[in-house]
Amino acid sequence: MAIVSKEQELVADLKQRFGDKITESAVQRPRRVFVAILPDSLTEVIKYVSEKGYRHLSTMTGLELGQTYGVIYHLIEGNVVLSLKTNTLKSDARLPTIVSIIPGAELYEREVHDMFGIVFEGHPDLSPLILPEKWPSGLYPLRKECKIEAIKAELEKAKE
Amino acid sequence: MSESIFTVPVGPQHPAFKEPENVTLTLDGEQVIDAKIRLGYVHRGAEKAFENRTYVQNLYLVERICGICAMAHQLCYVNNIETLLGIGVPPRAKYIRTIIAELERIHSHLLWLGVAAHEIGFDTLFMYVWQDREVALDLMERLTGNRVLHAANTIGGVRRDITSDMIPRIKKGLAHLGERTEYYKKIALAEKTIAKRAVGVGILKTQDAISLCAVGPTARASNVNRDVREYDPYSAYDEIPFDVVTSDGCDVAARIMVRIGELEQCVRILEYAAGNLPQGPISIRAPRSVPAGENVSLVEAPRGEDIHYCKSNGSDRPERYKVRAPTLANWASMRKMLIGGSMADVPIVLAAIDPCMSCTDRVAFVDAESGKTWAWSYEQLKKYAQKRSER
Repeated sequence: MAIVSKEQELVADLKQRFGDKITESAVQRPRRVFVAILPDSLTEVIKYVSEKGYRHLSTMTGLELGQTYGVIYHLIEGNVVLSLKTNTLKSDARLPTIVSIIPGAELYEREVHDMFGIVFEGHPDLSPLILPEKWPSGLYPLRKECKIEAIKAELEKAKE
Repeated sequence: MSESIFTVPVGPQHPAFKEPENVTLTLDGEQVIDAKIRLGYVHRGAEKAFENRTYVQNLYLVERICGICAMAHQLCYVNNIETLLGIGVPPRAKYIRTIIAELERIHSHLLWLGVAAHEIGFDTLFMYVWQDREVALDLMERLTGNRVLHAANTIGGVRRDITSDMIPRIKKGLAHLGERTEYYKKIALAEKTIAKRAVGVGILKTQDAISLCAVGPTARASNVNRDVREYDPYSAYDEIPFDVVTSDGCDVAARIMVRIGELEQCVRILEYAAGNLPQGPISIRAPRSVPAGENVSLVEAPRGEDIHYCKSNGSDRPERYKVRAPTLANWASMRKMLIGGSMADVPIVLAAIDPCMSCTDRVAFVDAESGKTWAWSYEQLKKYAQKRSER
């Protein structure tokens, strides 16, 4: 019988439990698992994996994935890093907050909100964590549409 | 609301802080009942800048995220890119990387111990510690050419070899550092100034450290046994024996003891690495373009787990590069540590996570000098650098 690693077991378990909600999954290398899920199952999946021990949220990465914005939750249990990826529409970028499940997500959600403009519904306080007070609303620095020139121009304006 | 409730903004510029950060404290008399955090005062937009530079140029950018843990960030970066390229690094390079990373931990922990001593008004200790820190910095200068910002790594290995005449120098330095660490351990345990200002101050319970995702010495002082070097070994850490230092004290005193314990382990790792340095080449040639893919890389920086995520698209520039430095991970726990404490303990509690604001603030594109009336363009800066190097 082939030896099943902890990483493969995790993927198989998630697939069995959440079926079609899992859109992609891969054990990239030992200790690294990437799983993509549909946004409507986010809270459910995070809750399930946190009960399995994936409670250490290392960070959250926001990024552009073609027509959508993606958010990756990097969760660690033991020595396995589970990168849980979900996405949201560019025209209406919103995801449920996971602060009630993992309190450590508070600052990371604020950071992704600052940089990508993704609204985390139910978050206790989405006020700017990083951007300056007079930063114009609607200018999200890490979106690809936001060019460095636009950021520079904004900073020049702020000097006056 | 009781009349004795006040809101006190601390920072961004404050004598107790070494770097700009802002904490709005709500006080009931002397007691802290709430704390609100605002960051971003030293943002330089590194993540956006990564996308606009080649992988080789990014080697220099990644080091400049932080002057103190430059090696940790660069190591995390090269591990990341090397994994995406699918190349391995020669064993000698792995050992050299480990040596520089551990020397950096020594210098960083000593720097912190000095700052912590200063925050509790124990300036004699501060000066002694910083004098010993020079030993680590001198070694670093000998090995890499620089006290900080070592530029030691390249994609595929390291840039400078450790010559055989350096080994006795390293060992001599280590003997001194080992002896001094033992002395500081004795002081930390016996000195009343430390006991009075650190024991029972800034409590972070184990369960809170876990739920708030604390990392590094802060988490380990709350009895969370997590060290990237142990659970996700990189470079030569899988071959070198060392112990993960934890404490169940959960207070500032425990954070002092954990860092001193780690200093002892650093000396142990360095002695082993310097004595068992493998022979062979120090680097291999790496391609300039990285095939499409994504990877997560972890490194135990002096302040804790450093995580980098890279998404490559087949070109010579990353599609997305994400950096989360350890300090940001500890800010959520910081709030917990402050609440319920006294106003007078705020500086040492803040200092006890060893905050590194330049590390934390790196995302937005904000001119660090925007408050000043002058600014240099890239061309001016280049000219200045060239003029300097002509001398």
